[in-house]
Amino acid sequence: MNKLIAIIWKDAIIRFASIYELVFFIVLPVIFTFLLAGGAPSGEPQDPRIRLLVVDEAQTVISSQIVSELDRSTAVRPELVTRSEGEDQFSQRRASILLIIPVGLDAASLQAGTAEVELRQQPNNMNADVANRAVQTALRIVSGAVNAANNAVLQREKNLPFASEQEKQVFFDSSLQTARDLQENAPDRTTVIQGATPQLNIDYDPRANTSAGQLISWVFIPLLGISEMFATERSQGTLRRLLTTPTGKVTYLFGTITGQVLVAMVQMLLLMVFGVFVMKLDWFRDPAALAAMMFASALAAAAIGTTMGTFVKTGGQANGISIMAGMVMALMGGCWYPLELFPAAIQDFVRILPTTWAMQGMLDLLLRGRGLLDILPTAGVLVGFATFFFAIGVWRFRFE
Amino acid sequence: MTKLFLIGFKDLRLVFRDRAALILMLLAPFALTVGLGFVTGRFSGNGNSALSDIPVVIVNLDKGQLGNELVDVFNSEDLKKLVLASEVGSPEAARKLIDADKSAAAVIIPPGFTESIIPTQAMIDQAARQGQQLALQVVRIEIYANPTRPTGAGVVKAIVDEFVSRVEAGRINGITAMASIPGIQDMPVDQIQKIVKAMFGDATTQEGTVPSAAIKLKMDITGADSVDFDPLAYMAPGMALMFLMYTVSYGGRSILAERTQGTMPRLLVSPTTSVQILGGKVFGIFLTGVAQLDILILASTLFFQVRWGDPFGVFVLICAAVFGATGWGMLITALARTPGQVASIGSAIMLIFGILGGSFISLDNMPPFVRFISNITPNAWGLDGFTTLGLGGTLADLGRPIIALVLMGAGLFIVSALIFSRSNIMKK
Repeated sequence: MNKLIAIIWKDAIIRFASIYELVFFIVLPVIFTFLLAGGAPSGEPQDPRIRLLVVDEAQTVISSQIVSELDRSTAVRPELVTRSEGEDQFSQRRASILLIIPVGLDAASLQAGTAEVELRQQPNNMNADVANRAVQTALRIVSGAVNAANNAVLQREKNLPFASEQEKQVFFDSSLQTARDLQENAPDRTTVIQGATPQLNIDYDPRANTSAGQLISWVFIPLLGISEMFATERSQGTLRRLLTTPTGKVTYLFGTITGQVLVAMVQMLLLMVFGVFVMKLDWFRDPAALAAMMFASALAAAAIGTTMGTFVKTGGQANGISIMAGMVMALMGGCWYPLELFPAAIQDFVRILPTTWAMQGMLDLLLRGRGLLDILPTAGVLVGFATFFFAIGVWRFRFE
Repeated sequence: MTKLFLIGFKDLRLVFRDRAALILMLLAPFALTVGLGFVTGRFSGNGNSALSDIPVVIVNLDKGQLGNELVDVFNSEDLKKLVLASEVGSPEAARKLIDADKSAAAVIIPPGFTESIIPTQAMIDQAARQGQQLALQVVRIEIYANPTRPTGAGVVKAIVDEFVSRVEAGRINGITAMASIPGIQDMPVDQIQKIVKAMFGDATTQEGTVPSAAIKLKMDITGADSVDFDPLAYMAPGMALMFLMYTVSYGGRSILAERTQGTMPRLLVSPTTSVQILGGKVFGIFLTGVAQLDILILASTLFFQVRWGDPFGVFVLICAAVFGATGWGMLITALARTPGQVASIGSAIMLIFGILGGSFISLDNMPPFVRFISNITPNAWGLDGFTTLGLGGTLADLGRPIIALVLMGAGLFIVSALIFSRSNIMKK
């Protein structure tokens, strides 16, 4: 036991000897989590809707209605700018879509059928396509009242012609008001319920994906870096020195891996605390289930790092491979982008990666409100990864 | 000048002999580009998104006109590629599929949805018999969303919202038009029905009866007609530029390593000036960066047929981006004391510039303060230039990014030179 503690303590001292390690341990993970979650400085939930630049040169009731309808949209977030600001941002591709409501867009132009707005969008841009649909929906809603009023005028004229243009206009205005009232009082005809969580009252927060994904990414990379430790110690001959001491292979490996797994769990805890306080995520709803997932994930990554350490020759190679493998596994495991964005065949294929399972388990806890029993199969798969890779690692491990 | 070139080419050779360095210089950005190719749908032929065949389950308990039409919308030719709709018999079965992560969302159309918008004759008759105004109860469509598939669930919701907004537009149009009929309050029901049929026909929500937008939408999709933008032309340089920062810090590390290994004093006792040595080292870093980006661009052209645009513009932009990045590499080297510090700071800067410069997610999605800070990164300017070229621009359109990168590099070189001159790195 003393040997284990000594090895763990020695590794911790070596790892944190440089202050720069703290940058990778906590500073960068926090920055990445914060920025990828939208970078809301207040810590309040950030509006996830697509930013739509709107230039309102008309400044009329109709143009305000368009902006208001856009604001009610679940897809876009209108941001009012001047024409020069809007065109500048758009030309620099700092905005994917720009809506210009020109001077003269008012009720009269609507009634006359001459109303027109301009929509500029970047090509082959998914955000721009989504925003385009939202703009069309908003225009249809605002137009809808006028269309309904025009239609009413037409029907009335068929049945009972107007005595004068003035009467026709009064009738139009009255019909327009009726249509607008109907729009205003239109009931919600859809209701959205987040799966698996209604009874737990867990609000869906897109930042949960970011928090879980970054946590796994930043913990996996240093754990894969165990390979660098082994390679460096081997090349420096310090592992050979251990042969002269009464320390067995199992003791050395167990101590080294335990130390790294413990440090990884501390890192995860710190990032979770950041998630709880800054992003208001409910990481600690089921501590037992969370502990199981944290331990299983860290163990699987450490096992892969151990195996990698038996294949690489130098510390430099191990460092490069562990960073690359960590980043690729995080990307393909759904830690950077939701797995649903990948083709179906790739979604099946990436089940061979521990990051996929770790991410699934963390999201089950965070978004689906699952408990210990529910996540045991996922944690079991990760322990399976750990067993498999530890077996290879221990079998191939050489002091020299 | 010859000495400067000799030192530069020697460093280039050394870097390309270091397998460990090549992993992060070439293999990592290439592997990540492949991964991002899957996310963008580049390898599945879906243009700018891999999102297709979103699994959605529908429970139609309504069986009325509107319920059936919503099912038809999900099975329509327009949405054939986007969604993969299947019907199940009960809401419980649908919710179970979502909870088991088998589908992105369930759309549950409850019984009576159609009647809540288009009343039946029986409902109208009953209200008339009771002498009461017809009051329609609101019946809501339930979207049971999978929280781990937010994008797919969002698309499903958008489709349902679009359908409901069309239905609502038709309803408002109908009520407003009917209110215009003189004496409608005293008309018998069958007469009202005849008028309604004459006005709108049978299908209340068919395309033809939905009012056309009174506000015309003038569309301008910049450059869409002239060029088909390849998403990999953004992703590949994004990754290449991020790992370029690794390359320049690796080069900077070699300057300090020469000092600690004792090879720098040896060079200084030879008839070579410190300016020639430092210039040669900088030239070596620049050459390595250019070679790295060239190889990555060539590889993505050969393997993935990425369309980069004007080749001359690409080359000039690469040189400018590497110049800007080399400036940062020199500054890091000037400020650090040991090769290890350069490696640590360089890796941290590589990642920070990667996220600030738009290598991970588009700067569109970042708050204004992040977009402002991104101007200090060669990644943001480089990506700006590569996107311009990908959209069909030429060298003439690259004025802003190239000037910004050159100014960035020049400014950082001046600052680094001042710091170097005060330190004893380049002294015997």
